[in-house]
Amino acid sequence: MTRIGEFLFRRRGHGGRWHWTDIATWTWLILGTVLMFGPALWLVGSSFKGPAQLAEFPPTILPYVQEVTEVEGYDKPLPLYTATLEDGTTRTLAEIRRIGTNSQMVDPANPGEKINVNIANRSPLREIGLATGNYVEPLVANNFVLFLWNSVFVTTMATLITLLTNSMAAFALSKYRFRGRDAVMLLIVATLMVPLSVILVPLYSVVNATGLLNSLWGVILPTVATPTGVFLLRQYMLTIPDELLEAARMDHASEWQIYWRIVLPLAAPALAVLAIFSVVWRWNDFLWPLIVLSKRELYTLQVGLNTYAGELNVQWHYILAMTVVTMIPVVIVFVFLQRFITTGIAGAGIK
Amino acid sequence: MGRIVLDGITKSFGATQVIHGIDLEIEEGELAVFVGPSGCGKSTLLRLIAGLDRPTSGRIEINGRDVTRASAADRGLAMVFQSYALYPHMTVRQNLSFGLENTRMPKPEIAERIDEAGRMLEIGELMERRPTQLSGGQRQRVAIGRAIVRNPTAFLLDEPLSNLDAELRGTMRAELARLHARLATTMVYVTHDQVEAMTLADKIVVLRGGRIEQVDTPLGLYNRPQNLFVAGFIGAPNMNFFRVRATGGQAELPGGLSLAVPGEGEVTVGIRPQGLHLATGDGPALEVVIRLVEALGAETVVHADAADGTPVVTVLSGQPSLAAGQPIRLAFDADAVHFFGADGMRLEA
Repeated sequence: MTRIGEFLFRRRGHGGRWHWTDIATWTWLILGTVLMFGPALWLVGSSFKGPAQLAEFPPTILPYVQEVTEVEGYDKPLPLYTATLEDGTTRTLAEIRRIGTNSQMVDPANPGEKINVNIANRSPLREIGLATGNYVEPLVANNFVLFLWNSVFVTTMATLITLLTNSMAAFALSKYRFRGRDAVMLLIVATLMVPLSVILVPLYSVVNATGLLNSLWGVILPTVATPTGVFLLRQYMLTIPDELLEAARMDHASEWQIYWRIVLPLAAPALAVLAIFSVVWRWNDFLWPLIVLSKRELYTLQVGLNTYAGELNVQWHYILAMTVVTMIPVVIVFVFLQRFITTGIAGAGIK
Repeated sequence: MGRIVLDGITKSFGATQVIHGIDLEIEEGELAVFVGPSGCGKSTLLRLIAGLDRPTSGRIEINGRDVTRASAADRGLAMVFQSYALYPHMTVRQNLSFGLENTRMPKPEIAERIDEAGRMLEIGELMERRPTQLSGGQRQRVAIGRAIVRNPTAFLLDEPLSNLDAELRGTMRAELARLHARLATTMVYVTHDQVEAMTLADKIVVLRGGRIEQVDTPLGLYNRPQNLFVAGFIGAPNMNFFRVRATGGQAELPGGLSLAVPGEGEVTVGIRPQGLHLATGDGPALEVVIRLVEALGAETVVHADAADGTPVVTVLSGQPSLAAGQPIRLAFDADAVHFFGADGMRLEA
């Protein structure tokens, strides 16, 4: 442990002195950490806050809930306040009800006596606590489990089909010589330049004509052919020696077997990278599913989130909580597969 | 089983023609070696036989069957690649069985064949390893094993030893020779190394620029090279050449040594370094001045210059005491001399 500490707190200055680069480095790194993790921490913290606390200014990082106590003679637990009485003493009292600017309170230790306090003279007594209802209510009552399932289905199917079709295209484009191969490759890569918003309307027409509107397949199929994926896989497959394919051909392997048993296993690192990308893309997709899906039971998570942002009322506590839920798979993918992502990006020379 | 006939094979890649009409017969059970400098088309020719490339024109027959248009798998051949081309994601056993599984051979027979190949090549204990966990020599054995289990009509080997170090190459060369003797299957072997060609071959095919220069047994090539290229290519160090002018059946080597020549006009006289020896007495001899002496112990390679500056190399047995700058007289036997005409073809004495 001391060695780790030594390593972490090593400084350029000798004998415990601070060199200016130490200060610059630490400032830079701390600033960077706050910038990167601040919003994420705020998001996670705030997802456990109630609506009232979210509206508070200044905002807090940690979620608080009001303390409550059981008082004899009252059915429900009563919220606790610190109240300053007319005689100047400060006491912890439970609020029975509020009437105008007056609050009718009771001392939990002495339930018989009611005290009137001006609401300006009382402040809520709070403790750190989690408003888990933010999570439970959407998941249980608002179909978010169904949205989650839709998202998982779309992501899984889209990724599988993406891997299959893109690797087949990449195999042909990297290992077969045919007239117009380079032109085809150029065409595929050129579609990188066309953003979704440009082809939105024609794409909608196509999906509508094929009867895929309001179907999860309408979300899946238009997205499976990705130029990035084809390009990434082709670049990787170019590094697989042709002699291996020829050896397989001598070994009576059909072209399908060569693809399935030789090329695909050897392209596994590139496939892993594409799988990660595809999962993240499809999981985070919002615009296209929003257009295709109009039935509530077909919503994906991202579209489902949108339902909490109404014209008159935005339910921030639900949005924040469900945002955390939607982030979890992506974060897990990154945590466990970041090694593949970095090597894959470096290897393919693209981002 | 295993007779391969090439008839008028040509091959072009786009506008470049790399094979210019090859006619060749490889007899059953023969070990034929394609040898030649890099770019001579020997690997291309092997790939044409294998079926990995299609000839532009000509016919390929295996056992009397025209296979020119047949796919690589249907020719019943097995190939050992220069890079071995072992499937890196499969174990040795899977590498060996892959080809057999593709032919839907029953599992017990596959296992039997693999065990036999494993015994023959002593790779039995490596079966569960992957190619990356093997040394160069072991990979070589597995590559050969993958060819053997197929029980092919002929083996095609594309520079199989070029990735091994010198010592291992010698061992594997001997093993290949033993293997060929044992299997008695036709083998076509491509190499640029003439030692491999000379030691392994029943028949050597010397190629240059996509044409066959000569087809003969190793010693036939050495003793009776048909042209200047073959004479210079086979044998180490290279043959000494003297360009002379023959008149009336006589020509003078540089330095004035007179020689009977079976030809007229421009003639090239070739003498192997091993054919020259130090002259004893005052008889007619080739007078040269030593430039460099390489003492190898058992023999001494002497680099010298003739009177007109033509470089002369000779290999003398033992350790004669010679030094650079020293003039020496070299003699040779009449039957050690080769003559080539102005067109580079051999002139019979």
